[in-house]
Amino acid sequence: MTQTLITESKVLDALRSVMDPDLKRDIVSLNFIRNMKIDGESVSFDVNLTTPACPVKERLREQSRKAVLSAIPGVKDVRVNMTAEVRRPPAPETSRIKGVKNIIAVGSGKGGVGKSTVASNIAVSLAKSGATVGLLDADIYGPSIPIMMASSGEPEVSNQIIQPVTAHGVKLMSMGYLSGEMPLIWRGPMAHKALQQSLLGVNWGELDYLIVDLPPGTGDVHLTLVQTVPVTGAVIVSTPQDVGLQISMKTLRMFQQTKVPVLGIVENMSYYVCPHCGGRDDIFGHGGAKKAAETLGIPFLGEIPLDPAIRKHSDSGRPVVLAEPDSASARALSEMTGALAQQISIQAFRTIPLSIIEE
Amino acid sequence: MLTTPEERVTPAEIRKKSGEGMAIRWQDGHESAFGARYLRGLCPCAQCVSEITGQRMVSEEHIAPAVSIEAARTVGNYALHFSFSDGHTTGIYSFDYLRRICSCPACAAVRPRVDA
Repeated sequence: MTQTLITESKVLDALRSVMDPDLKRDIVSLNFIRNMKIDGESVSFDVNLTTPACPVKERLREQSRKAVLSAIPGVKDVRVNMTAEVRRPPAPETSRIKGVKNIIAVGSGKGGVGKSTVASNIAVSLAKSGATVGLLDADIYGPSIPIMMASSGEPEVSNQIIQPVTAHGVKLMSMGYLSGEMPLIWRGPMAHKALQQSLLGVNWGELDYLIVDLPPGTGDVHLTLVQTVPVTGAVIVSTPQDVGLQISMKTLRMFQQTKVPVLGIVENMSYYVCPHCGGRDDIFGHGGAKKAAETLGIPFLGEIPLDPAIRKHSDSGRPVVLAEPDSASARALSEMTGALAQQISIQAFRTIPLSIIEE
Repeated sequence: MLTTPEERVTPAEIRKKSGEGMAIRWQDGHESAFGARYLRGLCPCAQCVSEITGQRMVSEEHIAPAVSIEAARTVGNYALHFSFSDGHTTGIYSFDYLRRICSCPACAAVRPRVDA
């Protein structure tokens, strides 16, 4: 009987045929393969992806298993363990928040498009997938994240560092905490200081993703954010109507002008499914955001239905992806989050470090 | 070589040359050198350029010849900030702007007069 020896390099060669569909490189050269063990006819290894929210996780597992089984005679058993480690895009050490790998801004052209609902569901979805997540409610005009995440507690302050509240596995900070019941009647410089404190004066710890829920439109808070920290990318939430998306375009251009990569557009309140007859109605029209994304060459991340359940669970403080994870709306939100996580990973690989060389 | 408009205004390398100013190599391969006084004289901040009329209030001839850049840092992903030796620190120079004011003879020849 001729027994070919199973070696680590043979297994790696076999795995070179497996491509990451987003990064468009094979999983060996991406350095995804870890902890390989060969025990007689059994092979086991980890595939260390760039996000636990990867939508093609199971496909990559199956492709890896088959690649090794079919390429190396003698292998009887392949165990693939899917792990993930969120990569940090390169940026100068001095200008980023220590421990925070990716800062994702969620913006919209106007208010009332469900931006905070989308942001809180993104944060909870990412946390559910196993990532460490923070959510900063930077909407000074109407901070709503504490309600949507049912966190009534106030953050504690020790040694002038704010300890964030944790809700549904997500670390929370809201500009609302800085004012209590009082409305924030702030001029630009005050908003500027408050946001800087909420970004840099909070003990975020180690985070894979910090989601920043911005106020609607373009203003002081947006400028402070993009000037204070290197933002990995921005998501724009829009309704199909959004005055023909004219308004969202302004937000988009603001991010482009400040060199914040736009990771994609989400169409919220995309369609309405009647709970009585099941009929679908495109109340605000349909597909506007998708068309705009295509025209602009920006990824379209998904359509979220106008569903009373999303509203109800947001109001009661338990985002729909937790409260009714199997509902169509929750699935739409989870899939959108997966698409976003893919774009963040792509961005982390694409970014060229920007630092000043002193001579 | 084909380059995208984005590469024109995205730095590949930024160097602060002690006593001389800044040098930027852009992703399209172009190299720009900026003297400290030149940059100070083209500061885009609201004290140097009138916010209402857009008219330049402070320009190179108002600046001491010996001015230098004491510190330079990046602003988010899109700009540079300088602390000049005359105490001026309010300008944020976006990469788009820096490329527009490139002082090399080829760029200077095709550029309309830059006020802000």
